[in-house]
Amino acid sequence: MYELAKKALEMAEKAGAEEAEIYYVSNHSTSVNFKKDALESAKDRFSEGIGVRAIVNGAVGFASTNSAKDLENTIEIAVAEARVRENDPDWVALPSNGKYPEVVGIFDKRIEAMKLEECIGYAMELVEGTKEVPGTLPTSGAFTRGKSRQLILNTNGVEIEDESTAVSGFVDVITVNGETSTAYDFDVSRSLDIDFRAIGTHASELALSSGNGIKIEAQKTNVVFHPFAFSDILEAAFAPSLDADNVQKGRSGLIGKLGEELAAPELSIYDDGLVEAGIETSASDDEGVPSQRTPVLEKGVLKSYLYDSYTAGKEGVKSTGNGSRGSYTSPPAVGLRNFIIDYPQTDLIADTDSGVFVNTVIGAHTANSISGDFSVEARNAFTIRDGALDKPIKSLMISGNAFDLLKNITGAGFDVRKVGGFISPSIRVSDMSVIG
Amino acid sequence: MQELIMEEIMQDIKFYDCRVIEGSSTSVILDNGKIEEISRNFTRGAGIRALCGGSWGYTAVEGELDLEGGVRDAAKLAFAMNKNTPKEEVELAVVDPPVIRNLPGIKIDPRDVSIEEKVELLKNIESRARVEGVHSTKVMFSESEFKIMYRSSEGVECEYELLNTGFAVSAVATENGVYQAGRESRFGYGYEIFENIDVFGLAEKAGMTAVELLGAKTPKGGTMPVLLDQELAGVFAHEAVGHASEADLVLEGDSVLANRIGEQIASPLITIIDDPTLHEFGYYPFDAEGVESSRTEIIKSGVLNSYLHSRETAGKLGEETGTPGNSRAQGYSMPVVRMSNTFIDNGDSKFEEMLESVRDGMYLIGSRGGQVNTGEGIFQFNAEKGYLIRNGELAELVRDVSLSGKTLEILNHVTQVGNDLKMTAGRCGKGGQLAPVSDGSPHLAISLALVGGA
Repeated sequence: MYELAKKALEMAEKAGAEEAEIYYVSNHSTSVNFKKDALESAKDRFSEGIGVRAIVNGAVGFASTNSAKDLENTIEIAVAEARVRENDPDWVALPSNGKYPEVVGIFDKRIEAMKLEECIGYAMELVEGTKEVPGTLPTSGAFTRGKSRQLILNTNGVEIEDESTAVSGFVDVITVNGETSTAYDFDVSRSLDIDFRAIGTHASELALSSGNGIKIEAQKTNVVFHPFAFSDILEAAFAPSLDADNVQKGRSGLIGKLGEELAAPELSIYDDGLVEAGIETSASDDEGVPSQRTPVLEKGVLKSYLYDSYTAGKEGVKSTGNGSRGSYTSPPAVGLRNFIIDYPQTDLIADTDSGVFVNTVIGAHTANSISGDFSVEARNAFTIRDGALDKPIKSLMISGNAFDLLKNITGAGFDVRKVGGFISPSIRVSDMSVIG
Repeated sequence: MQELIMEEIMQDIKFYDCRVIEGSSTSVILDNGKIEEISRNFTRGAGIRALCGGSWGYTAVEGELDLEGGVRDAAKLAFAMNKNTPKEEVELAVVDPPVIRNLPGIKIDPRDVSIEEKVELLKNIESRARVEGVHSTKVMFSESEFKIMYRSSEGVECEYELLNTGFAVSAVATENGVYQAGRESRFGYGYEIFENIDVFGLAEKAGMTAVELLGAKTPKGGTMPVLLDQELAGVFAHEAVGHASEADLVLEGDSVLANRIGEQIASPLITIIDDPTLHEFGYYPFDAEGVESSRTEIIKSGVLNSYLHSRETAGKLGEETGTPGNSRAQGYSMPVVRMSNTFIDNGDSKFEEMLESVRDGMYLIGSRGGQVNTGEGIFQFNAEKGYLIRNGELAELVRDVSLSGKTLEILNHVTQVGNDLKMTAGRCGKGGQLAPVSDGSPHLAISLALVGGA
């Protein structure tokens, strides 16, 4: 299909498209999965496909296929769909050939060349890591390696190809004695630099130390969010309001707030497609716009929304390189790149007299993405007393508002972590409502 | 030489099967009354499993399919896994080949309806959702047709075709910087759902919900008696009970229901059923390993009666814990144990009686999703809205309310089950795969639950 992709532009023009874009992607992944402490299955997945955008009279049609013999039909359907639609006055054009930045650290030959036996070895390391902590058992987990190749071509001269690799490991563990407690850990990287054994050990330690939790009173207090918890909440309750599409359609809590001081004055947030070895790093976004670093919040002040090519054209600004696709089966839409939380770092727990520390949360996706209101159940939470973690907390609900939360940030740790594309240290927020 | 090695490997492969899926889907998105997207996707691919000793090998391929090559690749993976980390053999529960019966009939094939007509319908739906106070809307239409063909080394060969049609509408209202949303969606098996369902009424309801939530307050949280509507109680049945009854989680030690078959775990008023034969959104005639679908009583009058099984989990846990038929997969992914149409069965209480018995507490309505920890048996769900109940009567509308607690405690705190079962379609995520499901319940009165609020 890769070879065919290069011919597809011509086919689209012949079918009557005034502008056309061919998005080709292939993925090859291998994973080794375990249930309890036994390796259960090995999976090898190969997928590839082509998504076609055809533009006729300022209207866009989209169709996709994973079958080479259907490609011509797919292109014709994309053109026919465009013809059905009325002219879209907000449509400007597909991206034009840009100058692409150099990105580093997103391809590791060792991952591409990895044999099944090595994959099995890393999965075993995850399992063995959990065994270093007596009293716990893994419930499930997996090692995965993947390689993908992406090609974007359009009639405005864009031709950009990217290849990348990734490895990841995750493990869920449960305690075996007394009151049940669970925990998980995971990591993902562009290169083979993950300590898989440590992931297992850490998850087990966390499950064990979370047992026999105490009840705490409902109160307003300092909450220190681990990067896992913080990224979950911000992605669900804050990030959607930065999406220019939501802003333009009245579905954002940040409408008309550019230039306003919205957050703690020491907080900056960047969306950055260029971070070395970032999970969301590549030379271009998913429609061929060169990647860039976009200040979103600087010293607490809202600097920019995030745009793909369409929403940028509608507003007469430049795309921020946030055209993103989940797969070849969908047209691009605004999505986050690497999302970096920047706040002056300290020895955060030691700096906190009292409060709670929260490792992960469940239910963040139920947040109100416009108002920013959220209500989550904290998992693996601990009380903080006199600058140290004290006791595990049995059950804890935290509710609040993402915009208020950004105003009330009062500290960040040294423990910066890449949670997928979300790059953040642990963050302390004052005056949060918790219910025990 | 290669062939000899392959022959040797295939001797150790006890079982293999493959699922070929081909089909297409169409979606139309209308955003603020304007067509935002019309897209069509064609797909063809296969998922192939091979079993060697206690290890599975799995390959997924797309496009032009070489099934024999796929079986060989899966066999090699299974063989290598078994050689490197041998373990207890997997015994698959024995099943009969499926009989395909009672497929949902379709009166109007959505493919026979022009795209212009669909867009027109969406525009009409949109205008109904735009009640006074609504300032933004989104309407989505989707249809998909899929043919699923299954073959196994045991000689089973079967196939079926399904056509899904559905729509979703959401409306957002705003006032003084406050935003609230209302959402409704329905799915079915032919374009006639747009005749059989009051889609315009639903659109208006989505709009009204968004507007009325603007004026709602967030109540103080705490422990109190609650009344759950059918949708939220259905989410509880699915998320908190259904997932914990999935035998793969039971085997992993990640279920609070492990080793409890035959025990009274819930109020005797509670019966929970999973039934893939119902023509709801979770329907299938046979599952992802060629097993004919059948109804399972998970909880029968409060007693844990059955887990949900694949052939592997049924083989491991034995017949007395249930039968296979709940193995499902998204596309060409490796099948996992999943629910289908899961619901709490009707009781005999009337809504007014339940309101009266709750007396002072909260009525929680609808769901904005939720999550559970099946191992610890705890859950958290956010309701779409609620009403305070005072002196047995509905009082103020409230928003941003959630329900959380321990699954088994809630099941035992049920004091009344309504007689008004209603199902809601949705998609359930597990192991990174989405599957169409439905869940439902009648109204439920619960004597004590933790409600989250301000």
